[in-house]
Amino acid sequence: MDSVLSVQGIHKHYSGFALEDVTFSLAPNRIMGLIGKNGAGKSTTLKSILNMVAPEKGSVTMFQKNFYKHEKECKQRIGVVFGGIDFYPLKRLSTIAAVTQRFYANWDQEQYQRYIKRFALDEGKQYKELSNGMKVKFLLALALSHHAELLILDEPTSGLDPVSREELLHIFRQIVKGENCSILFSTHITSDLDRCTDDITYIQNGRVLQSADKETFLRSFEHLKTPEDLGQLTLGEIMLRTERGEWDDDAAV
Amino acid sequence: MTLLYKEIRLAAHPTSIVFTFLGCLVLVPAYPCSVIFMFGCLAPYLTFLNARETNDSWYTAVLPVTKRESVQGKCLLTVFFQVFQLLFSVPFAVLRNLLNVANNPVGLDATIAWYGFGLMVYAVFDVVFFTTFYKSGYRVGKAFILAALPMAILMAAAESTAHIPALAWMDSSQSECLLMQLPILLLGITCYGVLVPIAYRISAKRFEAVDL
Repeated sequence: MDSVLSVQGIHKHYSGFALEDVTFSLAPNRIMGLIGKNGAGKSTTLKSILNMVAPEKGSVTMFQKNFYKHEKECKQRIGVVFGGIDFYPLKRLSTIAAVTQRFYANWDQEQYQRYIKRFALDEGKQYKELSNGMKVKFLLALALSHHAELLILDEPTSGLDPVSREELLHIFRQIVKGENCSILFSTHITSDLDRCTDDITYIQNGRVLQSADKETFLRSFEHLKTPEDLGQLTLGEIMLRTERGEWDDDAAV
Repeated sequence: MTLLYKEIRLAAHPTSIVFTFLGCLVLVPAYPCSVIFMFGCLAPYLTFLNARETNDSWYTAVLPVTKRESVQGKCLLTVFFQVFQLLFSVPFAVLRNLLNVANNPVGLDATIAWYGFGLMVYAVFDVVFFTTFYKSGYRVGKAFILAALPMAILMAAAESTAHIPALAWMDSSQSECLLMQLPILLLGITCYGVLVPIAYRISAKRFEAVDL
């Protein structure tokens, strides 16, 4: 099946950090987790996909269209949530929603009201009055009210308590089931991925170490197992052992 | 219009909107009218500052809007502030004449020439301010300081005309003097109409290369 998102050979250089040949794709109605430690390049990858940073090389195909050439058209069909960033803290949710809806041809006010009710959001509140979890829920409500077919979420669960995280992950699952939607979300909290992703892309130092469905992904790291490991390694263990291997190499140098 | 609506509802600082109504100060008997232009330059400065602190460019980037259009929104908002401010001052300038308020001892009255100078001040300010700001997308203070220098010089020049006897016709509301002032207004309109679109084009190109 055609992918909803295909990222091919993205390169972006900064002093002291570079994204090198980032390549992966996301199939329809799947949830992909983009993992990596802090500073690995997850957010830069997402921002490169969205043309918020200008990559030096590479292409992004979204809904079979070149994103950089059809940016507006593609953005009509996606929803983006940046966790941890406060937008217009003094504005009421109703004001932000009233403005946002004007940009989307497919805005569905009834759907928006349904999500506002479901997420127990009070539209009269200012954005800054929301908890971190509620902020993500509000941004999700905005994204889902124009029937986004792809959600791009940057660290949506970071800073949330375990209960709110669990609730959000449950919502992601429900969205993919019920809304004809795919999700690409970045996180450094690997336990989130154990529970809800279909595919995983692991970025280390700006390079894609592995990108595959969860089972293949877990199998491809079996070489990290020690004789004491009886079952399959968890994502947390894979990440820790991979990153620790890097520290050990550094120490050897 | 959607862009302008978004800018007014989400990005514009309330004080910037208040500043657009300060065109009414032309009615004050002894007030340096050209200071009103400074409010028209402070309005975009405060709004850009507010936009930066409220992560406006990030929010705009996730909407179905290109970076170029994001710049366009801010330019439209600034033009709205400045043109609205000048238009809003017109009835007060007329009222001042109807009330036969004495000639402003401080500097230039709100004559046709004054409006021409205003548009020139705004055109020069906008060119420097936009193009400097959109090099980085966040250095609003630097952009304002650099743009405020020519703004202050032009404001002082406009006010000085009232104190130069040979240019006294610029400060007069006599119909023949007003007619003589028309070319200054036309020059102002031309400057504004040419320089602001140029500023937008350069800024949009620069902002496209900025990494958010």
